[in-house]
Amino acid sequence: MVDHINAALFSSDQHFDADIVIIGSGAGGGIAAEQLTLAGFNVLLLEEGAWYTRDDFVMQERWAYPNLYQEGAARKTRDQAIGILQGRTVGGSTTVNWTTSIRTPQPTLAYWQSEFGVNFQAQNDLKPFFAKAEQRLNIQPWPVPPNMNNARLQQGCETLGWHSSVISRNVNGCANLGYCGMGCPINAKQSMLVSTIPAAMANGARLISRISVRKLRWQGEQVTAVEAVPVDQYFQPRSDVRITITAKHYIVAAGAIGSPALLLRSEVPDPSGRLGKHTYLHPSVISGALFDEAVNGHSGAPQSVYSDQFVWPADNELAGYKLEVPPLHPVLMATKLIGSGAQHAALMQQFNHLQATIALLRDGFHPQSQGGSVMLDQHQQPVLDYPITDYLWHGIRRALLSMAELQFAAGARQVLPIHHDASLYSSWAEAKAAITQLPMQILRQTIVSAHVMGGCNMSSSAQRGVVDPYGRHNQLGNLSVFDGSVLPTSLGVNPQLTIYALVWRNCEQLIAELSP
Amino acid sequence: MNRRQFLFSGLALGASGSLLLAGWQFSLNPDEDNRDWVLSAILPALLYGALPEDATLAQAALQRSKAAVIDFTAFLPLSQQQQLDQLFNLLANRLSQLALTGHITALPALSVTTRLGLLNSWRDSYLLILQQAYHSLRELLYGAFYGQPQHWQQLNYTAPEFR
Ligand SMILES: Cc1cc2nc3c(=O)[nH]c(=O)nc-3n(C[C@H](O)[C@H](O)[C@H](O)COP(=O)(O)OP(=O)(O)OC[C@H]3O[C@@H](n4cnc5c(N)ncnc54)[C@H](O)[C@@H]3O)c2cc1C
Ligand code: SF4
Repeated sequence: MVDHINAALFSSDQHFDADIVIIGSGAGGGIAAEQLTLAGFNVLLLEEGAWYTRDDFVMQERWAYPNLYQEGAARKTRDQAIGILQGRTVGGSTTVNWTTSIRTPQPTLAYWQSEFGVNFQAQNDLKPFFAKAEQRLNIQPWPVPPNMNNARLQQGCETLGWHSSVISRNVNGCANLGYCGMGCPINAKQSMLVSTIPAAMANGARLISRISVRKLRWQGEQVTAVEAVPVDQYFQPRSDVRITITAKHYIVAAGAIGSPALLLRSEVPDPSGRLGKHTYLHPSVISGALFDEAVNGHSGAPQSVYSDQFVWPADNELAGYKLEVPPLHPVLMATKLIGSGAQHAALMQQFNHLQATIALLRDGFHPQSQGGSVMLDQHQQPVLDYPITDYLWHGIRRALLSMAELQFAAGARQVLPIHHDASLYSSWAEAKAAITQLPMQILRQTIVSAHVMGGCNMSSSAQRGVVDPYGRHNQLGNLSVFDGSVLPTSLGVNPQLTIYALVWRNCEQLIAELSP
Repeated sequence: MNRRQFLFSGLALGASGSLLLAGWQFSLNPDEDNRDWVLSAILPALLYGALPEDATLAQAALQRSKAAVIDFTAFLPLSQQQQLDQLFNLLANRLSQLALTGHITALPALSVTTRLGLLNSWRDSYLLILQQAYHSLRELLYGAFYGQPQHWQQLNYTAPEFR
């Protein structure tokens, strides 16, 4: 019997009790729900978004963005310089993500060890957990030829002798439709929505959807209860009904903006001063390119090729960046393309001929890249302040140059860096000269992110982190943080597989500690 | 100072005055008339070249986009909704004031190019608040227009018919 409760239907105050309550049903919350249920705990999973499933996924942005994304996919940093995509639905961001699955790079783990004392060697090796997650979610190299959008990235790399690699994806029976960002309509994507969450529920876990957790009550060194409210049809927290939940152990998995925001609202102890700080984004910039042949970037697996040519530059003063492509859909493209009026309309008419490449900057590995800070607005909702330093600007300019060079090498007729002072350039030489001059300023350079990390970082020392290397809160004994917010830096790869493996490992530790 | 610069400086003053001094004159509360007025003024300019040439079809497309803007904004966080409402109130008020005092012709009489010039002047303004207004309106309105399947014809794109 599937036990799902829609909190929007509550008309009076409610109370629930469980062994373990998990707040947030994304990558971290989903893995934890299954592991802890299988270990015999009575698990209650709370999710602010709705329990939408394949039949709801109509492959239209106008439905998907308001219904499946935080802030209608229009979330922005405080100065509005960076657009942030995050899921808000059962399955969290995994329900809308693009299925790229890559293990944590060795240099990232090494950096964490030297800077944060987190050791992933010998018996702490994450490899068995990568393997478990890969098996659980059917993660395999994508065997189908890439769509044209990805093929152009591959072709450019081959021409220039740059690294490129085929992407592994968490799919099973994928029809190569290309609508992963709007929810997979055939349950091929092995998101938490179709894998761990139904498995947990089949084994007795309960799910409450459309519930916004507002606060953790705590006393001394223990969390004593969760305070929550239902959300209205627009996912705004309501104030007419109150819900309290008590449990033996509390797991916060509300994502790398949601989790720090909840802990800030709860005013939990923060002796390290790092709560809500050091939030990383893989700040990403875009380069468009027009090809004579059709690209049809809306069709086919959205991401199937990447290039690590520039992720780990020998000179540590330079910001590294990973090259990938985004899917191209009308709203995504119209809102990101530059210009207005006739100029914008003319570009939109070339929709099917536009290739787009993105460069994701690896932030958090340099004194000038310490990330952003989550704060609360007057409604107690999170806002991320993320200053962009010269180090990052310098990386952004280099990334625009690399992408233009790549696109011309792949046969582009014209290249358009997505910067409000740029225009269509017809040769690499012209593009290079122009990009060198583009002002590196917020709101002129378009910047986006779909990878939010940090804000409750792990560390072996309580002075340098909010949680310990197993996600246990340093001050509140019965509290764990199991999601992307524990990452002490960005990753240099797409985050989902790292979060799956880390949370899986942390669950095993927690189960051992909680079992009688 | 040409007319466009004048218009711009007038708006800039209004913007810095009201958006930066909390609680001054322009309400955070939604005002449907103001919103409708501003959308009617800006949409045809922003969508110049994208709207159908046929006037009736163009009108229908504008109506659909306006409705989509209204549907969508309810999902934004309250603080963002308030900022948008304040912007609509401010723009409606400022523009009608300028029109009343004879500094500009009434907005409906302004050419699409002039309106677009006005919008673009915010993008290039030295005031962060006007740059933000440009980007937030632009994203909101383009998202609303291109979210509608009826407007995809010129993209040569059809969504997959899957079920
Ligand atoms: C469009 C898009 C594409 C992406 N593509 C990829 C990709 O191809 N590969 C990859 O590895 N990664 C990708 N990512 C990123 C990846 O999905 C995330 O990094 C990962 O899912 C984060 O896991 P998480 O558990 O930290 O948070 P999430 O998965 O975001 O889950 C957090 C959940 O908590 C809920 N929540 C928040 N606050 C509250 C509250 N107060 N009360 C109740 N619930 C709350 C949220 O609604 C959300 O559902 C993509 C992300 C997006 C948005
Ligand atoms: S590409 Fe595959 S996984 Fe993505 S939506 Fe289509 S069928 Fe689903």
